[in-house]
Amino acid sequence: MNRDLSLLIGILVALLAVLLLGVFHSTLALDPGQRLASLALERLPESGVSNPVTAVLLNYRAYDTLLELAVLLAALLGIWSLGPARPGFQPAGPALAAMVDWVVPLAILTGGYLLWVGGHAPGGAFQAGALLGAAGVILRLAGNAGAGLPSEAWQRWLIVLGAGVFSLIGLLLALTGYGFLSYPPGQAKWLILLIETAATIAIGVTLAAAYVGGRPQMAQPPRSPLAPMADPEAKR
Amino acid sequence: MTTDSLILPIALPLLGALLTTALPRIAPLLGVIAATLTALSGLWLTGQVWGGDALNIVLGGWGLPLGIGVAADGLSASLLAMSSLVGLGISVYAVGYFAGSDRGLHFWPLWLLLWTALNGVFLAADLFNLYVMLELLGLSAAALGALTGSREAVAANLRYLLVGLLGSMSYLLGVALIYTAYGTLDISLLSERIEPSALAATSVVLMTAGLALKAALFPLHFWLPPAHANAPAPVSAALSALVVKAAFYLILRLWTDLFANITTTGAAFILGALGAGAILWGSWRALRAERLKLLAAYSTVAQIGYLFLFFPLLQAMPPGPARDDLFAACVLMAVTHGFAKAGFFLAAGLVQKNAGHDRIDELGGAAQSMPATTFSIALAGSALIGLPPSGSFIAKWVMMRGAFETGQWWWLIVIVTGTLLAAAYIFRVLSRAFGQEPTPRCFVTDARAEIPALLLALSSVALLGLAAGPIWSLLGFEGVQT
Repeated sequence: MNRDLSLLIGILVALLAVLLLGVFHSTLALDPGQRLASLALERLPESGVSNPVTAVLLNYRAYDTLLELAVLLAALLGIWSLGPARPGFQPAGPALAAMVDWVVPLAILTGGYLLWVGGHAPGGAFQAGALLGAAGVILRLAGNAGAGLPSEAWQRWLIVLGAGVFSLIGLLLALTGYGFLSYPPGQAKWLILLIETAATIAIGVTLAAAYVGGRPQMAQPPRSPLAPMADPEAKR
Repeated sequence: MTTDSLILPIALPLLGALLTTALPRIAPLLGVIAATLTALSGLWLTGQVWGGDALNIVLGGWGLPLGIGVAADGLSASLLAMSSLVGLGISVYAVGYFAGSDRGLHFWPLWLLLWTALNGVFLAADLFNLYVMLELLGLSAAALGALTGSREAVAANLRYLLVGLLGSMSYLLGVALIYTAYGTLDISLLSERIEPSALAATSVVLMTAGLALKAALFPLHFWLPPAHANAPAPVSAALSALVVKAAFYLILRLWTDLFANITTTGAAFILGALGAGAILWGSWRALRAERLKLLAAYSTVAQIGYLFLFFPLLQAMPPGPARDDLFAACVLMAVTHGFAKAGFFLAAGLVQKNAGHDRIDELGGAAQSMPATTFSIALAGSALIGLPPSGSFIAKWVMMRGAFETGQWWWLIVIVTGTLLAAAYIFRVLSRAFGQEPTPRCFVTDARAEIPALLLALSSVALLGLAAGPIWSLLGFEGVQT
């Protein structure tokens, strides 16, 4: 591109940014009035969890979160539609492999902890799922071409698990008269935990599969779906 | 229970998408079942809005402003009816189009996710929820557009994805400003609280610009022609007929609902002027296009322009029956284009499949051997031109009357020029169908694929033209005043 033109564009963008900053500053200077945070904290005891972030994500605005899970699914399906995955890296050397043996189970364990702790402290399905996904990334970097994931048929069920459990619970609640995604009083905690567990698995598998970067290869020998990630030993 | 059914046009395609992902072997069967149920739920909801008044529900039982609202009024219901019928047509067509191809495997879940997001946009009453819906819409649309796997398709749709993300970000920035100032995201609550200020003006500009990018308003249309022209036919139909409408619907909703007392004549004039540019440039490029699908894509750019021409007219018109007419005509125009363009793209896809290419100059024999398909193109074309009795004829009539009544005569020149150019590019295609080739005896040559295209094109002409009254009653206005 022409240098003068890019300079001009740069100046214009900078001016726009200054304008936006000015408007944003004047907004912050305004009396904010009542925003939703105080209201969200006030009704926290009814939400079934004591972590306000989890309450917003899984209760007040659960509908948004359901669709975010659908967004993740759409992203992975988009990746799969573009073709098969590239072959993985060569098997890791002994030092890396020994580290992977430690790190992957630890990541899965920490993921489980984050899922549980999300009810009352920072944590939750997305963080736990990210750790599971990271475990998959590490496995692929260490030479496991499938990132420790099960066969394609199983992957397909696992990636829809989160949105599936979420929307089925929502519809069941609507059918039983509570309303779509309106948890009955006192039941919110375990329903949220159920949804979050399903979402954690779905997010973890989706992220790992996205890192693999293509449709799982059919030629891959089917492995036991029950211990997809925890067993890098079997692979070596 | 009636209000709970508001969620069905969103939940059903979502469930369908999940099932078609999990069970790829029977994806077409599941897809058609999900599409039928989705369409039925959408039409049922439209019937509810028609019979009574606007429906709304706040999900989660928290009430406003903590929960997320979902609502259907006349405007949402009209577009929901469009997405239901056009979506069903596209689904039936896709079964045949993707039969025996690996791409169908990827088509169904992504298409149903796209449909989820479309219905979600039409029914949302919450600004942030709309952002999530737009994300889902943009992502699934770009993935679908790249399904052919060709280099051009992937490049065009990667650009589409990035442009869509930029649009979403701009929209989100506007939403963030509004939330900071007014402390809620619900559209109905906001429209009571919002008042003219620098902040509100900035939000309008950011949100409108972001959405105009997604709606491919001239000169932000650059991404549309390659993305729509290189997609598989059912996807092109969905992108051109439905996806750009979602962004347009949102601009209309924001301008007439949320920001009704903030928008000014000047701002509306800018939108109108861009619309005029879109009409002239899009029609001209369509006339010059060498490929049938590229012609259809540029025609979409032009037709989006007509929709934006309504903004200066709506802004200048005082509230009353005349403004109601204009508003209904705007919706009618959008819906008619949805049907016509879907029919056009589906038919173009059949021509392309039959001839092996879609170069207009060499289409003679192919077009002539498929009478039903060519007839669909002609019907859809007459709706794109705005010939009577199509819905766009009525819409253009009301628009021209509005331009007279508000003293904005200059738009008339644009409308007339655009219509003439549209007639030129449609007849350029149709003239190829009258060669010396032998014509087959049978009108319909491939029923499963030709009938959806024919029905969609026919609806744009007959259903929406001869029976445009329902749109008026759906929007809660008195009868047609033409």
